[in-house]
Amino acid sequence: MTKKENQPPLTKLPDVCVRCATCMAVCPVSRVTPRFPGPKQAGPGAQRFRSAAEASVDDWIQLCTGCRLCDTVCPAGVPISEMNLLAKAKYVGERGRNFRDWLLVRSDLFGEMASRYAKIVNPLMKKKVVRWLLDALLQIDRRRDLPAYEYPTFRRWFGARQAPEVGGREVAYFHGCFTNTNETDVGKAAVAILEAHDLKVIVPPQRCCGIPRLGVGDLKGAREMGQRNIDSLLRTVRGLDILFSSTSCGLMLRHEYGPLLHLPGAEDLARHLFDICEYLLRLREESKSSVVFQPLPLKAAYFAPCHLRSLDIGMPALELLRLVPGLDVSLIEAECCGLGGLYGFKKEKFAIAEEIGKDLAEAVARMKPDIILTDCEGCRMQIRHLTGLRVLHPVQLLRDALERAGKQ
Amino acid sequence: MKRFDLIVIGTGLAGLTAARTAIAMGAKVLIVGKGMGALTLFGNTVDILGEIPPGTEMAEEITRWIAAHPKHPYARTGWEGIKSAVTAFQELFLPPYHFAASGRGNSLLPTGAGTMRPTWLIPVTMAAGAAMIPAETLIVGFRGFKDFQGDTVSLHLKCRGVTLSLPRYGMEGLTAPAIARLMDDTSFRERLGESIRQQMAGERFIGLPAVLGLRDPAAVLKTLETVTGARVFEIPMLPPSIPGTRIFHRFREELIAKGADFRMGHSVSGVMVQDGRCEGIHIPNPPLVAEYRADRVILATGRFLGGGLWAEMDRIIEPVFNIPVFQPGERGQWFGERFFDPEAHPIHRAGVVTDTDLRPVDAAGQVILANVWAAGSILAHHQAIEEKSREGIDIATGFLAAKRALAS
Repeated sequence: MTKKENQPPLTKLPDVCVRCATCMAVCPVSRVTPRFPGPKQAGPGAQRFRSAAEASVDDWIQLCTGCRLCDTVCPAGVPISEMNLLAKAKYVGERGRNFRDWLLVRSDLFGEMASRYAKIVNPLMKKKVVRWLLDALLQIDRRRDLPAYEYPTFRRWFGARQAPEVGGREVAYFHGCFTNTNETDVGKAAVAILEAHDLKVIVPPQRCCGIPRLGVGDLKGAREMGQRNIDSLLRTVRGLDILFSSTSCGLMLRHEYGPLLHLPGAEDLARHLFDICEYLLRLREESKSSVVFQPLPLKAAYFAPCHLRSLDIGMPALELLRLVPGLDVSLIEAECCGLGGLYGFKKEKFAIAEEIGKDLAEAVARMKPDIILTDCEGCRMQIRHLTGLRVLHPVQLLRDALERAGKQ
Repeated sequence: MKRFDLIVIGTGLAGLTAARTAIAMGAKVLIVGKGMGALTLFGNTVDILGEIPPGTEMAEEITRWIAAHPKHPYARTGWEGIKSAVTAFQELFLPPYHFAASGRGNSLLPTGAGTMRPTWLIPVTMAAGAAMIPAETLIVGFRGFKDFQGDTVSLHLKCRGVTLSLPRYGMEGLTAPAIARLMDDTSFRERLGESIRQQMAGERFIGLPAVLGLRDPAAVLKTLETVTGARVFEIPMLPPSIPGTRIFHRFREELIAKGADFRMGHSVSGVMVQDGRCEGIHIPNPPLVAEYRADRVILATGRFLGGGLWAEMDRIIEPVFNIPVFQPGERGQWFGERFFDPEAHPIHRAGVVTDTDLRPVDAAGQVILANVWAAGSILAHHQAIEEKSREGIDIATGFLAAKRALAS
């Protein structure tokens, strides 16, 4: 077999940009507010004038949500979102982060505690006076529902349960913070569906992937989280495949630790990482799966998260969902949900996130689905907020289609 | 490892057409694009051959023209091939937003440069432009929108022109996607229609920049025509092109709904060639490289802007397969004396030479790879810019390449 590697070398210089403006056609932010000049100007346009020796003047750079859609459409291969991210890190580095941004990116630390006292914390977070205080003191917008905590955490549940006898090979599961403390059923569904595929699941020690820190321009913090995860995952999983159910955690682990953060061991880790639906679909294609789904007569709408699109693995969840008999599933034609992780919780950005989300909400209203499915916890939060509909991770629905099989 | 019946490389109109033709024939298709393709740059109408003067019968004239241009891509498809491919394209755009020829020949449409330009298929939102009478036409521009200079357009077209402030906006930094998004809102366009009506002095036609909504442009047109009582038309302008984005979205929607695997964001970094066949391709997403296999491959990577052709200092190469490129001798012969020479620059004829089935051939006329076909503007011996034949070549050869590939 011969390989031809004739691809012209790409350079990271902004001059690779020919200013064709394709990125402007997809940027969710510049479409709804003139306060952000859009990827063409904020990325390579401004990059030509940036100098490490001079103070940053990019006052609007924090309005980039980091969705990375611009990267996926650029015909010249300009790393636009990376330019934005580095510019944001410089801007924030010079001015310092506020307490809110310092606090919000540490959800993995207070999440455990909040989960333990969920019965007290959850009602408290719904109280108007608390929301007013958070809004006034921390600029966490009071119109945004805060995610409720669940007890026990996914990890506790997993550690305490009686694991079934499974004959097949071992796989490791990277659940991410949100699954652990706020949406434990996603983790339970992931475990159930993997075990139904005859895989033995282990849950290695793990920390926050660090993507929230990237979002607030904290490269140093993101690097620290990344290195801890690389070291602990490589040590504990020893060559096992590691599956993630959150596409944002997955993008961070697989494609940002190495190319952006230059962490040692990142490439080794990346080779073992797979999106859970990508993995299940592959088992099916290699005829290693005999799992049959039972009918679920529902009208479902699937949304492909921005970070799934950057993973460039297609839409494996949609392909799997199409295997469920009776499930009428179609794709939501919208670019972005607008939440942008922590972005949409911030008072100064709430209106932008809402405006971006409006397009998705209108697309959903035209489809009239019973249920919405999407791989990202941020998208799920935002779509619940926008539509009031039931929103699940695809593996939760696939698990439901399995359980019916078990009961029949 | 994923295996497909067909891999299409390129997400421009040629690649999209090839993928859609193959999907309609029941094939399992992967379509990969480095970016979003050229539709978002200058996709508006469908040119077949602008050289044919308006008022003359296209079918008759083009047959004669093709006979006089035996090396042209149209010589592979013939008028019959163009017609069936274009009909399939029209079937993808069902009314109310549909494409039609306004007569049996080319029509002249106003452009954002204030010129009249010949074209063949026209979207319903531009149809009135072909019928407009300058003395009875009002050209409307928007204050703060740099991509459309209403004054220049009206001056050149000898129409009356006005520049309006957009309701709700009225600030600098307006972009085409932002305005198109506002147009999708009924109350916004009603108010815009009303402010246009107040400026009218008995005009029967109104020309606006091509930003009449992304989701439901026919509804935008209807509102504006109802409120103003005039016939309204969009005028193509600078990128990003909203009409082109609509075409792209419609294709993507159709392809994903029919089960195609649609990827964007990374260029092909290598191909697997064995025994004169392409077995598969490599797509990098750092730090990983994914491998995809297929029985057939269609190369629709475009020309210099899309990266299908690559100019080195002394020669032009095709970077994916390293297929020999037909080209004018040395660099000194690439360009004519004058930039705007009515005769095409010799470099514009450069491209991939194929057999009658659209399989690339070497200088001796031998097929290079038995299962690789080429489509779109990467083909040699056309002058799409001067001929005004770009979309016709994309659609006709994309259609034919898919038919031939799947028949093999």
